[in-house]
Amino acid sequence: MNLLGHHHAHHESPIHRISAFLKLGVGLALILGTVLMPVGCHVWFAVVAVFLALVAWLSRLSSFFLFKRLLVLSPVVLGVAAVNAFQPSARVSWLGIAVKSALCLFTVILVSNTTPFSKILRVLKLVRVPGLLVTTIALMHRYLFVLAGEAERMRRARASRTFTRRRRVRWHTLATVAGQLFVRASERAERIYDAMCARGWK
Amino acid sequence: MHIPDGFIDAKTALTTAALSVAGVGLALRQVKRELPPRRVPLLGLSAAFLFAAQMLNFPVAGGTSGHLLGGVLVAALLGPAAAVVVLTTVLIVQCFLFADGGVSALGANVFNMALLGTVGGWAVFRTMSGCLPGTRGQVAAVAFAGWCSTVLASLACAGQLAWSGTVAWSVGFTAMAGIHMLIGLAEGVITALVFLAIVRMRPELVPANGLSPAPRRAATVIALGLIVCLGLAVFVAPFACPWPDGLEAVATKLGFEHRASSSLLAAPAPDYQMPGIHWAGGATAMAGVVGTLIAFGLALLLSRALVPKSCSSGCESAPTRAIRAD
Amino acid sequence: MNPTIEVANLKYRYHDGTEALRGVSLRVAPGECVGLLGPNGSGKSTLLLHLNGILPDRPVADGTVRILGESVTSQNLETIRRQVGLVFQDPDDQLFCATVQEDVAFGPQQLGLNETEVRARVQQALTQVGLAGFGHRATHHLSHGEKRRVCLAGVLACEPTVLVLDEPTSDLDPRGRREFKALLRQITATKLIATHDLELVVELCSRAIVLDHGVVVADGPAVELLNDEELMLAHGLERPHILRHRHPH
Repeated sequence: MNLLGHHHAHHESPIHRISAFLKLGVGLALILGTVLMPVGCHVWFAVVAVFLALVAWLSRLSSFFLFKRLLVLSPVVLGVAAVNAFQPSARVSWLGIAVKSALCLFTVILVSNTTPFSKILRVLKLVRVPGLLVTTIALMHRYLFVLAGEAERMRRARASRTFTRRRRVRWHTLATVAGQLFVRASERAERIYDAMCARGWK
Repeated sequence: MHIPDGFIDAKTALTTAALSVAGVGLALRQVKRELPPRRVPLLGLSAAFLFAAQMLNFPVAGGTSGHLLGGVLVAALLGPAAAVVVLTTVLIVQCFLFADGGVSALGANVFNMALLGTVGGWAVFRTMSGCLPGTRGQVAAVAFAGWCSTVLASLACAGQLAWSGTVAWSVGFTAMAGIHMLIGLAEGVITALVFLAIVRMRPELVPANGLSPAPRRAATVIALGLIVCLGLAVFVAPFACPWPDGLEAVATKLGFEHRASSSLLAAPAPDYQMPGIHWAGGATAMAGVVGTLIAFGLALLLSRALVPKSCSSGCESAPTRAIRAD
Repeated sequence: MNPTIEVANLKYRYHDGTEALRGVSLRVAPGECVGLLGPNGSGKSTLLLHLNGILPDRPVADGTVRILGESVTSQNLETIRRQVGLVFQDPDDQLFCATVQEDVAFGPQQLGLNETEVRARVQQALTQVGLAGFGHRATHHLSHGEKRRVCLAGVLACEPTVLVLDEPTSDLDPRGRREFKALLRQITATKLIATHDLELVVELCSRAIVLDHGVVVADGPAVELLNDEELMLAHGLERPHILRHRHPH
């Protein structure tokens, strides 16, 4: 299951080769800088935009893919823009917000698609994020594809035996699938614990 | 409801980040103290479950679809502290991997959805299910609590946007609260349906009222509650309360009344707008109260529709199969 | 000589009351490769989980399990788990780390080895299963066959004396099955393999034990047992085709 194309993180390019720590650090600095910069400071935004475009080109990620991911923001931005445009009391212009958002979003997309998740986890451990939280994040990432696959298979199996378009039945079906998914997830969690103990975890 | 980067300013981002770090830190400590080692992987798997479940699109109307945020569901199954950790994990992964929610806004998103929505919703659930008996009571409680969690989160979100000057409170509050009072209905219904499905399949997965995972350390719950209230006080109260304006207006008017004529109808020009503001504020508050009561009523009706009378005091499901097959 | 695995009158009942094991007794000699057969629900997986102390999950006194002469108790679980390597039925349950390298390294790290030793063991284990160079691969991207081999590597990296496998070739395509069987053939540790793959038992196991309804119903030389059509059919199995064309020696 191709959940938002996460295989990109394992490709080859000059950007992919840079250390995860550096990428996350620079990314964070860029985002914070962009958010804190007053809207009037056009130079900063222009420089950041050019820098990101350069990184995107070097990373050899498909521009179509990048553009598609940027579009994710559009409903929110349009919504706030609409609201913002109609209130004279708002201190910040919607265009400024939109530009900031887009630049930050682009940064996150570039970093996450050029860094394998296991390396991101290592950086989190390095900066002293509590172990329990890192383990939970790691397990979530490891099993979200597994569970998503199970959910999809169950949904399809149910749908194959659903002969009505009535919304009520569909809701009931989806809720049962979700419930069954949780039950399976909790059973799997127990088996994972057993497997961890079997190899000596304390 | 994930706030992207650039929508909140530095002071808001920092304040929410500080509150979130404190809240999540407390929750982690509570979980380490309370959760048996056997259930540690369940945190990660629950987070994966929420994510996978969020991809199931419940058809709402036309092309819209609703999906579950899940804070109250996880809190009802694993307890509030574990739910905070699970939701925080989901939000972090959504932020970094799927760019759903800004990095600088992570503090705000965690506060709104993982702390305020989850803990607030859970509190509603516990209170309500303590008062209403049986499976029906739990279903109604979980439905209403799900609605509450969405609305609470949206209020804080509106407050943060207002404090940052992105969207004025009067507009933001109405829009956010209004929309989320509707979205919350979907969250409530879905939470109730999934909760009921789990109760029917595996009643042992649902902690009975008053028993585990009741937090033994009242101090932690109180501390979490305080953080939530602090956030509400900072982000919602200053904007939400129409009463100061309303009260001022009334007081001024009365003052004028004393000084001016005895006629209640006549009012000097500058004060002409005052009654308008007062009533607008009052009307908003009334709408909020009415909306909440409607949601509460709907939750009760839903529980009646889903849980047949014969099962209302707690259903035994079909014989549970062994966890390990063969 | 002491048997490597010794199970005496083992009983186990699940939380909901199902009796999974009703007095199982068996022995496995050092270096033997034994196949554990039985229909679904016979108690095979439950039995295997007793061999490294995962079960019983609550104090019971029904029967004993001895590994290399030592009784499995709640006190010596660490030692037992060093000696018994269990490969689980669902590779996704066992492969809980993000990358192959991390997962295979998990066992050696828990053993307390230093970084160099861990890396050496990982390298050796991956080479042994034919996946050298797979270290950096993300676990959720692997094919089913690759996952099963990484699971085996993860257990081999702990260098156990006894290898216990729960349905190692289920869900594998014919080539995957052939490759996995070839791997198992090269491992010299004592092996107990629960499986539905009757050909595997014929090819690799000297002895077979049939479990049904929580008790051992047959225990003897593999080919002899599998040739007994009546026995096989009586317990939800069948005489494997591979034997139909063989002349008894």
